[in-house]
Amino acid sequence: MKNYIATILMSLSLLFVSSLASAAAVEIELVIKDHLFFPAEVEVPAGQKVKLRIINQDPTPEEFESYELNREKVIAGNRQTVIFIGPLSPGEYPFFGEFYPKTAQGKVIAK
Amino acid sequence: MFINSVILLLQEILEAALLISVLLVITNLFHDIWGRSFVLRKTWIFYALILGCAGAWLYALVTPTVSEWFDYVGQEVVNSLIHLVSLGFLILLSWVAPSNYFSDKTSQRAQLVIASMVVIVLLALVREGSEILLYLGGVTSQSENVVPVLSGAVIGAGIGLSCGVILYYGLTSLSHTWAFRVCLLLLAFVCGNIASQIVMLLTQADWLPYTAIAWDTAGLLPENSITGRLLYALIGYEATPSILQAVCYGLAMLIIIFGPLFRLAWPGILAKNVEQ
Repeated sequence: MKNYIATILMSLSLLFVSSLASAAAVEIELVIKDHLFFPAEVEVPAGQKVKLRIINQDPTPEEFESYELNREKVIAGNRQTVIFIGPLSPGEYPFFGEFYPKTAQGKVIAK
Repeated sequence: MFINSVILLLQEILEAALLISVLLVITNLFHDIWGRSFVLRKTWIFYALILGCAGAWLYALVTPTVSEWFDYVGQEVVNSLIHLVSLGFLILLSWVAPSNYFSDKTSQRAQLVIASMVVIVLLALVREGSEILLYLGGVTSQSENVVPVLSGAVIGAGIGLSCGVILYYGLTSLSHTWAFRVCLLLLAFVCGNIASQIVMLLTQADWLPYTAIAWDTAGLLPENSITGRLLYALIGYEATPSILQAVCYGLAMLIIIFGPLFRLAWPGILAKNVEQ
């Protein structure tokens, strides 16, 4: 039992170290204005980690949420934030603003 | 705005309400296990509620600043730390509280149990409550939204709280043995959910490596369906969890299932499994 735990811990810490050493991600910008995403369709390279920088130009907070991307994060008004996504397999991944879902809709397209 | 407000509040309140109900039922059951001398007043819940609401308000205030820490992933780091502390206290509750060390120190046992429960509920409220406050604070800054959003919020919160009350009375109507068993099983799911959330947050912050998707049940049970959302609040259902999320979910559940508190609830279950 102890050996198993040690092995699991070691492999987890190795994973952690390897993630720190991994190459820098592609950075893509997304703007929130008037409760809309610009661009509403974000093209990203498939198979690569992407650093999504979301700039909220509205004075109100918004929550970026995507079931398909498995991501969820509150962005305060007039602030920016960073969310890492992927590497994704080619396809479409819808996202929305949970606080203003009627208008704030978009999708990530991995190619 | 109205419907969205109902759904948002319902989701956040439901998660906290279910946890509080389960812990309150466990408080009742502890009296039966450790006898009349084990005095555990249910007033702990009031301390937890007051501290939790104050904490949520404070955290909502500092969220914009916290978000910018660690190169804009401060929110993930602090939230996963909050999750980690709750997980620690849940494990303390299920491993240390029932230990024989306390067999002749009933009042210390009660203090440990109360402290753990207050911290667990307080942190759940900080997490869920701060998000509610940020939402309400932002959306109601436009005056035309105030009435639909606040009435939706009251209804959503009302439904969430009712579900908690129904669960509480549902569990107390069961026999003591079964109430205890169901509570412990739910507690194991809560721990799994927290562990999986920690992994999700740290992956989102790029502090943990990406792992492939373990399975995809989006076609079978979409996360945005009513059942999917309910299951998300109850056991942290995700249609496409990553492998690391699934593994940590399982490990956290096992920590509770192999704990002494679980064995008190399900005596002999592990032995029976070995026989089969």
